Amino acid sequence: MSSPAKEQRYLKGNEALAYGALDAGLNAYYAYPITPSSEIPETLAKEFETGKYPGYKVFLQAASELEAISMVLGAAATGSRVMTATSSPGFSLKQEGISYGAGMELPFLVVDICRAGPGLGNLGPEQGDYFQATKGGGHGNYRLIVLAPNSVQEMATFPKLAFDLAFRYRNPVLILGDAFTGQLKEGVEFPQLEPARFDVSSWALTGARDRPPHLLVSLELDYAKHYKHVAAMYEKYKRIEEAEVRFEEFETGDAEVVIVAFGIVARIARGAVNKLRARGVKVGLLRPITLWPFPSTALKKLAADGKRFLVVELNTGQMLEDVRLAVGNDVAVDFLGRWGGLLPSEADIEGMVNRLEVTAA
Amino acid sequence: MTEAVAVPTPRALVHVLEERCKACEICVITCPQGNLKLSTRLNRAGFHPVEFASRGTRGECTGCAICYWVCPDAAISEVLARK
Amino acid sequence: MSEAGMEVKAGRLEALTDAPTHYCAGCEHGTLTRLIASAIETLNIRERTVMVDSVGCSVLAYNYFNCDHFGAAHGRAPASAAGLKGMRPDLTVFTIQGDGDAAAIGLLELLYAAKRGTPITIFLVNNGIYGMTGGQMAPTTLEGQVTTTTPHGRDVKLTGTPLDVSKLLAGIDGASYVKRASLVVTELAGPRGSVYAIKNLMDAKRSVENAFKVQSMGGFAFVELLSTCSINWKMPILDAKRFANTQLMKQFPLGVYRDVFGVEKK
Repeated sequence: MSSPAKEQRYLKGNEALAYGALDAGLNAYYAYPITPSSEIPETLAKEFETGKYPGYKVFLQAASELEAISMVLGAAATGSRVMTATSSPGFSLKQEGISYGAGMELPFLVVDICRAGPGLGNLGPEQGDYFQATKGGGHGNYRLIVLAPNSVQEMATFPKLAFDLAFRYRNPVLILGDAFTGQLKEGVEFPQLEPARFDVSSWALTGARDRPPHLLVSLELDYAKHYKHVAAMYEKYKRIEEAEVRFEEFETGDAEVVIVAFGIVARIARGAVNKLRARGVKVGLLRPITLWPFPSTALKKLAADGKRFLVVELNTGQMLEDVRLAVGNDVAVDFLGRWGGLLPSEADIEGMVNRLEVTAA
Repeated sequence: MTEAVAVPTPRALVHVLEERCKACEICVITCPQGNLKLSTRLNRAGFHPVEFASRGTRGECTGCAICYWVCPDAAISEVLARK
Repeated sequence: MSEAGMEVKAGRLEALTDAPTHYCAGCEHGTLTRLIASAIETLNIRERTVMVDSVGCSVLAYNYFNCDHFGAAHGRAPASAAGLKGMRPDLTVFTIQGDGDAAAIGLLELLYAAKRGTPITIFLVNNGIYGMTGGQMAPTTLEGQVTTTTPHGRDVKLTGTPLDVSKLLAGIDGASYVKRASLVVTELAGPRGSVYAIKNLMDAKRSVENAFKVQSMGGFAFVELLSTCSINWKMPILDAKRFANTQLMKQFPLGVYRDVFGVEKK
């Protein structure tokens, strides 16, 4: 069950994500158009008519972001692989549904192709939803597993990873993209995928035949029971933190400064690292791939080696706080931010690193 | 589940789950034969549960089951009638 | 528990659990619970029925119906029901919603489920008030009615007039069955004084069964059921019945608002 061809295709990030989801066994997509994510539903609408994916049973455009996420929850309750995508303003709207879904321990996939905020903002790339994605966003105690792709290739492969994580842990998963990665066109390959099998029979709503009823609800009026329920969720989150951290290190071995960046910024930072290294500057890059669980341990290790950090993000300093939390107060953590749709250039990053080297000397 | 006034061979019987009754009295006022009234007992919730008598204030229970359908609490759990 | 020579005319329903309900004394939510359970038994669909619970007085219905349950967010039950049904069209999916859940916060979800002809069954318990949260104004609160957010009576110049959901859905051409019935016992003058009739209740019972039948025929079914809320209307139970049978029924006339499959005529 592969995408139209196994050869390299030249696609937008959003399109690649759509095909990646289909390859991962998508059963249903609930849509609401919002720039810069609309190519995702558009691609999925196009492929729905072809019947090439027998498991792909529903494509429905909802009347609002709220309706879409509520449909996702109901469909996910049957144990099906379901998904919706949006951009930042819509991600705000979906928080209630995400909170319910996390509380009910439902597996499903949400994609946020971030754009500039707050409010209507603009259509440019930003990473201003980091807090919303990793610190809650929705009310109550829960965690979202958050994947941050930085290439069209990762947009293609992350849906399968996301569904696997969602079903393995019975938790919603977020792919946190950005306008740039969503709109970027690159060559991409779609590997042959073995669809993973997960047993949903202990919880899915399929009709109570020959078994007691399954209740998928997030209400628990007994405080002690609710305490236990959330405590059990957090036992699960501990297991996820132990097993599912993903990150990439580049030239960190002897680095004196480690840039920490995710998504498209990591691509720019990598270019800056290459240019700096060519001039003998000892700089490296740590790219978190899972924003939650966050690679705190890896950062702590680098800090213990005496390195300092430069966090570069498309926001006013959100992942910055998690880096500071991970490495502690005695480690120098500097910040370079761009927002409003602006991106830092390689030169911007080089300039910042040079300033740090100067002050460090 | 009581039968305060017994008839030797009743045409119909109504079973009341006293612990479910909230004494709303809808069954009392809708029963055409007057077979139901609040008892003096108290259930665990603090209500006087309804009790059934085959011979009511207006006649004998016919098994019409109006009480069954109007009871919001399914406290009227069963209505039996002679075949 | 049947006595010798007797048969069960009306009995225990497998679709109902043993849990006593939390509904207030005399509340028609409980009445509806029995009607739905009875319809599920009659149609023999318990093992393939899923309830999508909403937020309102019926929020704990997952304790009362012996079937699978999904607890939707406030107003979102029709959307979650649509998602569920879309993945499992073989299941019978129904909701119970209050007038706030369905006609205020959830109006979009309700309208679009109807517009798309989603084959689900929606029961709206209209008691003209927000019951669970303690008696605030609802879309169906009557003009001049005192609630905790309209302490001087509902001012329709400010808030608009009461919303007629059945009339609204009657004009949605995706809906197959739109019916307004009443769960409230009716007081009649009889030769020995007041007599209470259940004609409306029995019509509501048939409407509930029709609403499930229409789903099995592939259509969107909606039944609005007039009810009382004696606690939040601040009336004794019988007075509340009278209020429903006069004021509420006058504002929201009973009837068949849409019946594409003609189930009412059968």
